[in-house]
Amino acid sequence: MKLERITIENFRQYCGKQRVDFAKDEQKRVTVIHGINGAGKTSFFLSINWCLYGTSVENIKIIDNVGELMSKEAVSRAAIGETVRTSVDLSFLHNGERYQIKRMLQGVKLIDGTVKVEENDSFSMMRTRADGQAERINNPIGTMNSILPANVREYFLFDGEKIDNFAKPEAAKQVKQAIYLVLKLEILERSRRHLEAVAVEYRKELKNKSGQQLRDLLEEEEKARTEIQKSKDRIYAVHQEIDSAEQKIADIDKRLREMENTNILQQQRDRIERELKQRRTELEEIVNTVQGLATSGYFVVAEGAIKKAILLLEEKRARGEIPSDFRQQFIKDLINKMVCVCGRPFDDGSEEHRTLLAKVSHGLPDALQDEVLNTCAVLQAFEQRTEKHRADVDSAMRRRAELVDIIRALDAELDDLSRQLKGSPLEEISKLERNRENFKADVREYNFEVVILHTRIDELNKKIVELKKEVDRARREEKREVLLSTKLDLAQRAADAIGEMYQSFADEMREKIQDKTKEIFKKLVWKESHFQDVKLGPDFNLEVIDRYGYSARPELSAGERQVLSLSFIMAMSRISDEEAPLVMDTPFGRLSSHHRNAIAEHLPMLASQLILFVTDEELRDEARQNMESRIGAEYRLEFSSKTSCTEIVEVK
Amino acid sequence: MQKERLMNLFETFDPAVKNIILGVLDIEQEHISMERPRVKEHIDEIVTAAAKKEVEKLEAEERP
Repeated sequence: MKLERITIENFRQYCGKQRVDFAKDEQKRVTVIHGINGAGKTSFFLSINWCLYGTSVENIKIIDNVGELMSKEAVSRAAIGETVRTSVDLSFLHNGERYQIKRMLQGVKLIDGTVKVEENDSFSMMRTRADGQAERINNPIGTMNSILPANVREYFLFDGEKIDNFAKPEAAKQVKQAIYLVLKLEILERSRRHLEAVAVEYRKELKNKSGQQLRDLLEEEEKARTEIQKSKDRIYAVHQEIDSAEQKIADIDKRLREMENTNILQQQRDRIERELKQRRTELEEIVNTVQGLATSGYFVVAEGAIKKAILLLEEKRARGEIPSDFRQQFIKDLINKMVCVCGRPFDDGSEEHRTLLAKVSHGLPDALQDEVLNTCAVLQAFEQRTEKHRADVDSAMRRRAELVDIIRALDAELDDLSRQLKGSPLEEISKLERNRENFKADVREYNFEVVILHTRIDELNKKIVELKKEVDRARREEKREVLLSTKLDLAQRAADAIGEMYQSFADEMREKIQDKTKEIFKKLVWKESHFQDVKLGPDFNLEVIDRYGYSARPELSAGERQVLSLSFIMAMSRISDEEAPLVMDTPFGRLSSHHRNAIAEHLPMLASQLILFVTDEELRDEARQNMESRIGAEYRLEFSSKTSCTEIVEVK
Repeated sequence: MQKERLMNLFETFDPAVKNIILGVLDIEQEHISMERPRVKEHIDEIVTAAAKKEVEKLEAEERP
């Protein structure tokens, strides 16, 4: 970040619009703004802070206890009802892109002379890319956090009077916080913590799900499929047994047909069996017919309701309500024309008029009347169908009963024939018939088994359909599970990776800052031979070691503490490589000429851009000479006691 | 720049892990001025996107 220009309008003692161009060249990178006490240095400094961050960001106070931001002179000059505007425009360069930001606060001057200021200021940010394309930034706070976060700003835009804060004995926490924020260790630590937290959530979610469910379902499906295959194999085997038994029965029948003593009985059996087969086929057809009639005869159930509806409509017809003698529209036309059917006019309230009105109120609308007539026809058709349906069912049931009786009689005849054959005095005949009966029993049992097997296959197929649905559901779940488990793995590995690198990186950064602080401190402090070392330990205590090896910090003068603090800040800036300006408000106030001269000599080389707000006393003589070649822009703040306003004057 | 230094820090890690870390670092940077940033959803989005890519990669490898 390199500041280019600022335009201040009606901000505190800056009345009207005033502009400053900052020095930003490689060689001449210092902007000096002179002002005596009370001339407006701090207000100028605050205007930069306010423009970048407002009065506060989250719970970080940027501007506190400084009174009104709006210029009192601008308010006094405004007419009643006039809008008074305070604004600061700042343009800066960052990563090869130009940013333009503007913060504005408006208010209307009231009759009592005060200003009703809007509750919130407005903040807008524009970015012009290197290719010249300009765009408005929708997330200016997030963008500012990426450029120079509000909580990091105090290490770059700082009040010189508080500069020794880092060198105080109780400052370890502040030193640590500064290092964490400027060197992005805080970001690293937060990333690790938050990744760990999401990994914990993923783990919990994953525990509630189980891949076992899908495995169980697939196993169950596999079992069902195996059982179906086994049943089918069994059906095939049973059919072979049936064929074999039937073949044996056919052989026995053939033998019985050939034998003289059984020839007639067997032929009789052949005939009965043929008829039995025929009757059974017929019975099957009849049963199917009855089933068909039962499923298609839904209207029979509504027979009572249909009859009642027909009766109601018949009554209405008997009363002459349907169909009406006249169409509704015809009667309405007569009433409108006040003319009778015969063409004679009638009066309002006359008997003819009343009759026609009664017909309109009692009759049905034309469309509805048509509907009612159609319904009548449909209902009557239903009644006829019901009667025919009932007759059909009765007839089929009667035939079914007849066939059952015929089949029973035929079965009885067969049993009788079999008994005769079994009771034959000839052993061979008796044996053949007993065998035949056994084979018949086998066929019956086998057929029964086939039915059982088919039923089981049907059940299993239904089960498989259900299982497939469940498997699909579980698969979808499993896919989510795979994703979740990958998320957990990656989040945990990312958190672990940060944890693994964090400590060594933090230690490396701390040591680098320690070395750089020492290097800068030795350049700036005039007792460099007395102060042998600067230490920044794991406890983040910034320590100066004297030539005797003792901690010298308790003995440091206020100026030396300021120099140590400044060295630390410069070290952070150098180590972080952040291209951020160093804006310092009265930095040399408590420094003696030795320190002032050394800082003026070295400071410009330690920051990519330096903006100094100084009193006349702070930068003069050798200090001024040491910095002279680096100064690219210089301004003087001239306070007018007449208007209590400050004018910014460029020093040529 | 410190950001580049951080990126280099994770150079040797699995690219998926490295990309997650860099994405999360950006999110954290944007919210650094907040004491209790609400970044969980953003982090979940980053991790989910990376995980989806990983799953797709695995599925593609398993395909004959």
